[in-house]
Amino acid sequence: MKIDKSRETRKKSITVGFLYETTKDRFKLRSLNGENGFENIIKDKNLNRPGLALAGYLSLFTHDRVQMIGNTEVHYLQSLSPEQRSQAFGRIIGYTMPCIILTNGNRLADELMQAASAKNIPIFGTPFETTKISYFLADFLDDQFSPQVVLHGSLVDVYGVGVLLTGRSGIGKSEIALDLVERGHRLVADDVVMVTRKGEAILMGAGTDLVKHFMEIRGLGLLDVRSMFGIRAIRYQKRVEVIIELEEWKLDEEYTRTGLDDQIVTILDVEMPMVKLPIFPGKNVTVIAEVIALNYLLKHYGYDAAKEFAKRLEGMIGQKKKENRAINYFEHDFE
Amino acid sequence: MIDRVIAIRNRTGLHTRPAAMLVKVASRFRSEFFIRKETFEINGKSIIGVMTLAAEQGAILHLRFDGPDEEEAATAVTSLIERGFDEE
Repeated sequence: MKIDKSRETRKKSITVGFLYETTKDRFKLRSLNGENGFENIIKDKNLNRPGLALAGYLSLFTHDRVQMIGNTEVHYLQSLSPEQRSQAFGRIIGYTMPCIILTNGNRLADELMQAASAKNIPIFGTPFETTKISYFLADFLDDQFSPQVVLHGSLVDVYGVGVLLTGRSGIGKSEIALDLVERGHRLVADDVVMVTRKGEAILMGAGTDLVKHFMEIRGLGLLDVRSMFGIRAIRYQKRVEVIIELEEWKLDEEYTRTGLDDQIVTILDVEMPMVKLPIFPGKNVTVIAEVIALNYLLKHYGYDAAKEFAKRLEGMIGQKKKENRAINYFEHDFE
Repeated sequence: MIDRVIAIRNRTGLHTRPAAMLVKVASRFRSEFFIRKETFEINGKSIIGVMTLAAEQGAILHLRFDGPDEEEAATAVTSLIERGFDEE
């Protein structure tokens, strides 16, 4: 499986209005100065606490990040005389910034609020502590700015393992996904899977808004898996953990016989284990997909059957044992 | 039908990787392929079978090829074993 780098996308920026509308309920954000500056742009996933900038140290002031004003900053401002306070605050809002978030339910003096409004800087309040809201916001911004790629395949949660079935169009990905659903597994997305990198090494997959849990089966047309099989048959998102690439059996292609050599495919700079699975009529790919998921779990918990077998064999080589049978002598026991 | 007798050359014997190589090479041919060590005979295209031989360095293997491309199969397999599976 090859993934064209040029198909990867990444949001360059979001507006402050988008941030507010999407997160206000979760992060309990309240707009404190109307919709001033909602069109301001956020380009950086990092946050900044402008403590030093308020105190007058302005070099390296990362003003184009979301600014977090917490207890420390508010206490510092309160300790100043009204003139000094306006001056300190004026120093930082002289720079362009997307917005200011006031944590811990803090408030700013009216003249500071007016000064910010005049500069088109939105101020949001939240009852959360600075560390907590910073964690939420950083996670949200990280998600917004993380790289994405749209893959052609079916993503199914098999025994809790995110299995992405890929392969050429018409090879039977949807049919296998449907079969897995029928056996009690959960469909995440069919045909169009949006994969987003979370942090450095986690890939999350989801369907698109339009397709959700619809799928096309050749000869039947469009089906809605959720209405047909119910809520147990679907889920909205799942970490992608194993890639299964389906292909027609080719005589000259070499398939792994031991499973010792792990195959890897790189998606969004994350290395994913891949199983290249030759299929032919009569082969039960669904069961094999389940076995791949179970084997992934076994490996995850530290047991690698191929390595275990290799170890046993190495111990056996050179032993001058005449008998190969696992049982030395069949006594009167017919079990 | 072709019969060959050959000794395992590589120091570590027929462990997992050489066994996998052997099976892969043998599977390219249509001929049937069996390996016998002493009285124990297995299908040479079966990875589990080949590994069950647990053939150490110096072990004598009797190879038997039977089919339309037996010559080519015999040459490919014996050459692989003689090369010691390119291990050294």
